[in-house]
Amino acid sequence: MNSSLLLSITTFAYLICALLYLLAVIFRLRPLLLFGTLSGFATWLLQTAAILLRWKESHDLGFGHAPLSNLYESLVFGAWAVMLIYLITEVKTKQRALGVFPATVAFLAMAYASFSPEVSAKIQPLLPALKSNWLIAHVVTCFLGYAAFAISFGLSAVYVFHGFSHPEIDDGRHQTSWVPDRKHLDELNYQMILFGFLLLSLGIITGAVWANSAWGSYWSWDPKETWSLITWLIYAALLHARAVQGWRGDRVAWLSMVGFVSMLFTYFGVNFLLSGLHSYGSS
Amino acid sequence: MATDTGFLRATYNLLGSIRFTVFLLLTLAAGALLGTLLPQGMSQPEILMRYGPQRAHWIQLLRLDDLYHALWFQALLLLLGTNLTVCTLNRLPKTLKILSRKENEINPERLLKFGQHATFATPLALDQARSAMEPELVERFGRLRVLSTSPSFTAVAEKGRWSHWMLYLVHGSVLLILFGALLGSVLGFKGFMNIPEGESTAQVHLFGREQTVVLPFEVRCDRFEVAYYDNGMPKDYRSDLTIRSQGEDVEKRSIRVNDPLTHAGVTFYQSSYGSDLQEVELSLTKADTQENFRVSLPFRRPVALPGTAGDLQVVEFREDFQGFGPALAIGLYRDDQEPTGSWILADRPDFHGNRVGDYQVQVLRLDKRSYTGLQVKKDPGVWLVLTGFVTLLIGMGLSFYTSHCKLWLVAEAGNPTSRIVVAGRSNKNSLAFESEFNHLCERLRLRLQAR
Repeated sequence: MNSSLLLSITTFAYLICALLYLLAVIFRLRPLLLFGTLSGFATWLLQTAAILLRWKESHDLGFGHAPLSNLYESLVFGAWAVMLIYLITEVKTKQRALGVFPATVAFLAMAYASFSPEVSAKIQPLLPALKSNWLIAHVVTCFLGYAAFAISFGLSAVYVFHGFSHPEIDDGRHQTSWVPDRKHLDELNYQMILFGFLLLSLGIITGAVWANSAWGSYWSWDPKETWSLITWLIYAALLHARAVQGWRGDRVAWLSMVGFVSMLFTYFGVNFLLSGLHSYGSS
Repeated sequence: MATDTGFLRATYNLLGSIRFTVFLLLTLAAGALLGTLLPQGMSQPEILMRYGPQRAHWIQLLRLDDLYHALWFQALLLLLGTNLTVCTLNRLPKTLKILSRKENEINPERLLKFGQHATFATPLALDQARSAMEPELVERFGRLRVLSTSPSFTAVAEKGRWSHWMLYLVHGSVLLILFGALLGSVLGFKGFMNIPEGESTAQVHLFGREQTVVLPFEVRCDRFEVAYYDNGMPKDYRSDLTIRSQGEDVEKRSIRVNDPLTHAGVTFYQSSYGSDLQEVELSLTKADTQENFRVSLPFRRPVALPGTAGDLQVVEFREDFQGFGPALAIGLYRDDQEPTGSWILADRPDFHGNRVGDYQVQVLRLDKRSYTGLQVKKDPGVWLVLTGFVTLLIGMGLSFYTSHCKLWLVAEAGNPTSRIVVAGRSNKNSLAFESEFNHLCERLRLRLQAR
């Protein structure tokens, strides 16, 4: 039993989980939703074990480090973070049908990590630049933020779709029992963005403090830094528009989707299209 | 004059508007985006070559090649700072008004118009009702401020008043960070120094400028080392440094990546390394006579060939010449002939091309001296920036997850039942407060039933 086997099983289990959620929503089979949740939770536990095992394996290889050091490990952790935040939200709100999107994202991230030839799954020793206690804090906070933004993207999409399919009903009292009404969706989305924004800020700041202690500059306008700032600015604009301008609903949902695209570019686009300090994240 | 004040007022209104904030945030995002599409810090000929004269003109006009230091980008940052200051100051009177508002009486009919309100009937008498409700309210909202006890009992409770200040903490922190960055760029510097092993220097070459800063002390590199993992990946870079001032060793320390040295406000970071060729020892064999002799050549200095009227010189050195390992470019200059030269592969003594003029050349020894590359920084603003980071995060966390909640309570005696009206209001996250309020009302209802 090794971590790569466990992570392969995780990949397929997330596919099953996503399919369960999807079938339940399409065919309106409420009991199936419960199985979606159960499989999601079981898979998440399995993945947690796999990540810990990978950590231990790196120690057995003689250069132990947290499994957060390259693109493969970050994708695995990203999937883990999305499911963690989603499952907590599900428990708190008792809304199960929203699981389609997060489970699909978790599956896609795992599948990309496992099957793409660009992504190496090998456990590698750490480059000198990454040898720092800040590594864990920086990566964990960034990815929790990314995960919250991913879920917010899903919520925004549901919100906008909800608006297309029931344009006449916008009084907050209408309850299709499958997803929360628009007022609650908007509020949930807002809470998700707040969390993501706080964690992204933490991620940027831990990165800045780390850069300051590693090479003497807390900000160097490196493309990754700049793109994370762009993402931050978009969400900051969203929060101000919502809080002070009274923007609600569709406009916030669309802006959140723009923020998510910017976040995706921060994560993938910068690695593959632009070069800079974070280039080790691309292999 | 009237138009002047009108213009000033309009400017001030713009600077104090949140619409403008949102506009600035998105414009900054777009501007920053532009800078990631173009490589930053290209040389002028490079820009011309890559983009042609037409586009190069625009690139240089808008300074897109050094966008983050361009005047217009810095002006946007300055505008954001000003906008933030004006907005925050404009808000201050409102906050003070909210915090100083203290009602002396409560009209129960007005409470019924609140978004969150509830009415109960209870068989308990007023003082009994009060003692039934008070522990529950105190537990959730802290102290009760009692306004009157007869003919009706009225009270106000609130918590999280301080959460109004978190917004000021967040915005103040952003300003502090911007100010710290400005201070650092005006009073500090960033550059690099390459120090060969065993040597010392006080000169720092600044990044992006043809300038040097001379430190008031010298840095000596006693030793530089690279350690590798078994698979060949670099594991550790280490320089043993000594700080020297007025001919004396003041401080000795090793630095690594992620572990810099700070002396007198100047910080030294391990950032790169390399090696310089010092001297080579060659064995030369004359092709026709098989005459053999040895010669030592300092890098780039011509040395007379023994027994001939000619000079030999190591012109160039490559660590890896087209995959064949280290190689020397050696030139032979003789008065009576055209100069000749060739690349000599140091690690392949049998290579037939290791030949200069009519000599077969073999490299016996390469004397290299490695140097360490240090990044050097002085930034007197960094403490303000780091402080700003910490307070920004504290402020954000508290302003996202706390709110100012206020509760109004009226209990009117009646026969046979007393009527109790509760209303509540929160400055943010109304849905969360709604469920908290409903939960509280449920508990109150239970406590108010006859015992």
